[in-house]
Amino acid sequence: MKAETANMNLWHQAARTTTLVGAVFSGIFTGLLVWNLVGSALIGPTRENDLAALKVQVQKEPGNQELLVQIRQLDLQIRRDRIWRWDFAREAASMLLGSAVVLVVAGTFAGGLAKKPPRPQPVAERGELQMREARQARWSVVGGIAVLAVGMGLLTLTRWVSFVQGGNGDGGTPYASLEARQAQWPRFRGLAGAGVSTHANTPTSWNGKTGAGILWKTPVAVPGHNSPVVWEDRIFFSGADPNLRQVLCFDGKSGQLLWTGDVPTGPLPAGEEFELMEDTGYAAPTVATDGRRVYAIFPTGDVAGFDFTGKRLWHKNLGRPDSSYGYASSLETYQNLVLIDYDQSDGKDGKSRFLALDGTSGKVAWEAKRALPSTWTTPIVADVAGKPQLITVADPNVVAYDPANGKELWRAECVGGDLAPSPIYAGGLVLAIQPYSQMVAIKPTGQGDVTKTHIAWKAEDGIPDICSPVSNGTYVYLLDSEGLLTCYQVADGKKVYEHELKDQFRASPSIAGDKLYLLSLKGVMHIAQVGPEYKELGRCELGEDCFASPAFVDGRIYIRGAKNLYCIGGTSVGSTPDTK
Amino acid sequence: MTRIACTAMFTLALAVPCLGAGSEMRFPPPEFESGYQFPETARPPTARPVVHEYIDVALLAVVLLLASYLILQRRSRRAIFALMIAALLYFGFWRDGCICPIGAIQNVTLTAFDSTYAIPLAAAAFFVIPLAFTLFHGRIFCGAACPLGAIQDVVLIHPLRVPHWLESGLRLLAYTYLGAGVLFAAIGGTFLICRYDPFVGFFRMTGNWNILILGASLLAIGLFVGRPYCRFLCPYGVILRNLSRLSKRRVTITPTECITCRLCEDACPFGAIRTPTEDWPEGEYQIAKRRLAFFLVLLPILIAAGGWGGYALKERLARMHPRVRTAERVFLEETGQVTGTTNASDAFRTTGQASAMLYQDATAIRSRFALGGALLGGFVGLVAGGKLIALSVRRRRAEYEADPADCLACGRCYQYCPKEQERRKQRRDARSGRGNR
Amino acid sequence: MANKEDVTRRKFLREGLWGACLAGAGTAAGLSVARNNQDNTVWQIDPYKCIACGNCATYCVLEQSAVKCIQAYAICGYCDLCTGYLVPEPKALDTGAENELCPTGAIKRTYVEDPYYEYTIDEALCNGCGKCVKGCVAFGNGSLFLQVRHDRCLNCNECAIAAACPSQAFTRVPARQPYLLKGVDAKE
Repeated sequence: MKAETANMNLWHQAARTTTLVGAVFSGIFTGLLVWNLVGSALIGPTRENDLAALKVQVQKEPGNQELLVQIRQLDLQIRRDRIWRWDFAREAASMLLGSAVVLVVAGTFAGGLAKKPPRPQPVAERGELQMREARQARWSVVGGIAVLAVGMGLLTLTRWVSFVQGGNGDGGTPYASLEARQAQWPRFRGLAGAGVSTHANTPTSWNGKTGAGILWKTPVAVPGHNSPVVWEDRIFFSGADPNLRQVLCFDGKSGQLLWTGDVPTGPLPAGEEFELMEDTGYAAPTVATDGRRVYAIFPTGDVAGFDFTGKRLWHKNLGRPDSSYGYASSLETYQNLVLIDYDQSDGKDGKSRFLALDGTSGKVAWEAKRALPSTWTTPIVADVAGKPQLITVADPNVVAYDPANGKELWRAECVGGDLAPSPIYAGGLVLAIQPYSQMVAIKPTGQGDVTKTHIAWKAEDGIPDICSPVSNGTYVYLLDSEGLLTCYQVADGKKVYEHELKDQFRASPSIAGDKLYLLSLKGVMHIAQVGPEYKELGRCELGEDCFASPAFVDGRIYIRGAKNLYCIGGTSVGSTPDTK
Repeated sequence: MTRIACTAMFTLALAVPCLGAGSEMRFPPPEFESGYQFPETARPPTARPVVHEYIDVALLAVVLLLASYLILQRRSRRAIFALMIAALLYFGFWRDGCICPIGAIQNVTLTAFDSTYAIPLAAAAFFVIPLAFTLFHGRIFCGAACPLGAIQDVVLIHPLRVPHWLESGLRLLAYTYLGAGVLFAAIGGTFLICRYDPFVGFFRMTGNWNILILGASLLAIGLFVGRPYCRFLCPYGVILRNLSRLSKRRVTITPTECITCRLCEDACPFGAIRTPTEDWPEGEYQIAKRRLAFFLVLLPILIAAGGWGGYALKERLARMHPRVRTAERVFLEETGQVTGTTNASDAFRTTGQASAMLYQDATAIRSRFALGGALLGGFVGLVAGGKLIALSVRRRRAEYEADPADCLACGRCYQYCPKEQERRKQRRDARSGRGNR
Repeated sequence: MANKEDVTRRKFLREGLWGACLAGAGTAAGLSVARNNQDNTVWQIDPYKCIACGNCATYCVLEQSAVKCIQAYAICGYCDLCTGYLVPEPKALDTGAENELCPTGAIKRTYVEDPYYEYTIDEALCNGCGKCVKGCVAFGNGSLFLQVRHDRCLNCNECAIAAACPSQAFTRVPARQPYLLKGVDAKE
């Protein structure tokens, strides 16, 4: 009996020791597995980032052989390491399984040996005990309820997104409101292409040579004749050459280039070359923003949408436009739609159309086929008595659409030839220009063909060839490329005055507050009083050729010269209108 | 003409997102002059034949039949253990732990809610067969067939007693998990129970690290606490325990009548053995009656509170649905509240759907979760209230017995019963007597 | 002891509940079977929804993903400068680590005739990361695409990749036609 007990003790001892050993080994292998896991989770991604960075670097330094060797070594190391870690994990896991089995078997054996036969002790007051147990259990359930309630409470702290739009200003819409857009310069010549800034604090003196009055100046490498657009502290425009199309974003405070976004294009049809007139360039159309995203179109037919951080959200090739001087119509936006006048060739091959793309995805929202030839005008969305009208000009028609769905509202047959100046909407009239020949004022209240019924007046003196008109609602100013400034009364089309500026112009005239700003090709800004007679207020020289129309936003003028982007204005400006 | 994709395209740092649909033939397949033939696209192997699943279903039925016999008729822990190991090896390690009845809850739920979903026959059978057996014989599925139970059962080397009260409180977890699993399978587009299956990674010997760690922790606890997943988390266990209360026949500790020798008191590592009751002290009845009345009144309040809480959480619960998550992200991006995009929002944009549609879908899902959340909350409230009532009712027991809900039909308690020992001895004698003859 | 009537009533209730539960289980089974008028289903990727995000390589419960790349030769352009094979702006058309897109070197490039090259996937090496798919879909014909290989797939009840798929490209397809192929093969 005694020997048997001793024997049992020995077995028990052995089983316990084995259990312990099993436990220790299980612990070791678990530790190794965790080390392996943490290692691959930490080192793996870092190394791959390093490799990606090296690959980017090697693009910049094509001749660097050392870098190549480094890349190859790192790549090999990553692959080796991955396989090594897989093997290691597999081996460690099987070892862990083995030790766990030892642990469990020995442990169960030891437990069985150690088990003493049940020797129940007498229990007094079992009823009392059961009652206590039930009471404790009830409290425990109450505790469980409390824990669940706390869990629900914690869950309510997590964030969720309401899809309700509008409400407090701009926060909830995929595009900025009209009020917010008014304070910015969201497209070619500002809101609705009017060339009018409501801010009265626009600078009136600067000098490009001395730098006086110039807040900053940033060189721009990529060429393009398109104009800057501004949203709060971001300035956007595009640039392109035959091989490259880019959207650039600059910081309004410092002039620093924030990002550039590339726009791809498809390959050329075999044997063709892509060449455009120098006067038009490869980036004539101005970009547009809806306050959330910025959109750009290029003469290759590529349209793209970028978010404000420079990530390209979408890209679409509309097919290369057939345009004799090169495609130059700028973009307009309406709510979340990007509006594109895509008229081309003689309009008879079925390619001419007006497109509205969804700004978030680039998908076609609506499309209006039209048999109109190439135009170089930019469409505008005019707010006609609270109702938006999309106004387009292409030989021989001025056509208005509902921008939301592309339904034609009215059309007037009144212009012809190669059209470059864009229409404006001023004093209740749509003013369209047929270069060198006439300005037509149309009442936008009709339906269908309004050629005979809604033309208010026509004017024939001093009609510009390139520059678009500008108006304060009372007077409309026309500026031709040779420097002839002509002023008409909007209401009846009566000529008010004519003034020879003896300068050449490509940029369209603008009005900021009560001042007329006329930027010449040589970079001289002629500043004059808005009114019934020409009264010069100043002349500021930039000393650089200027093709693009400047942007006016809250005390600042952004001018894109041939080589530099200028910000004119003091260091401190009034707060930007609140758009949040 | 050289087939060189225009180099300008390579300047892109990122691929154009709007490409997915429609394979555009940018470069028409060439016409070869050298007589080159297009190779066959590698034909990948077909899926596993369905007949395997029928074998699984048949095996499950066989295991349960065998287990019924072994546990109720033969009363042999050793045979049940062997059967359990066999089931663990087959349903667990050989068949990779999928499909299992626990997960099948969700397949059945989805079938009821999604008319386009075709439930695999095996999933339906795996869900129903153990239920039917439970109605007849108690939780024999848990004891002998379930691989998740088996893996915990084998690691139990030193069972510690979990206090009765703790067990009562923790059980709420399992009910909540069941409710959530059903809710998300029905309208959340997610199989929650499968996603957090703690042991399937061990059966496959590979898997998500977080889940493996969860499983390892449960097994580590399982060294000292009998079957923690089964008792405190398993959603299928919740269904089985309630059906088991109604079962026709189930495990009894003693083969004949109980002599209340108290030897089996500590036999069950799962705390399923109930002691005989004694009369309450004088005066306690009045208090108990009042308490019961209080909890009966509290029950509807708890249900209402739970329902309200679940309803209030509808937007949070709906975030489990991938479409809602995508909608929220896209909305944030489009309204300029976040910058940058995610894979999901990029993928949504490639579909060309209007984002308004996405918001509409998400809003519809949320409104479904309004009812779903309320039902889930109400269910949890009902369970908690019901539990409080059950704990306030006095039950009468004259003998030691296995709790019909808690008993996992493992047969560990048999050997503790002197009556059982007696029966075994008789049987041995009978057999050897026959042998001698 | 409770009186006899009480016991029988309780028993009757119990029996009724028991029958109801059994009937419920039976109904669930019956309805499920009635609903299952289709074949069993397996997981598959819709190649037209896939955005080649790379989750397939990392989220599969298998150490090496069940998802692998497939080449549909019939729609391949046999480009010299394959954007599924080479990184953007490769320094040279070779397999140097700085030029090759595939992180495991699973794509083999074979000369066919000027200027065409054949690209073949070495399935043993492919890890389903989809880098080549992204490149091919973005600039080429999209002949490379990802598929769940059913010799590898465990057909989990809830596919871990499906749960992580940003474009919901993972769908349950009938086991009889377990692949969603691209190109001419898709028509068969």
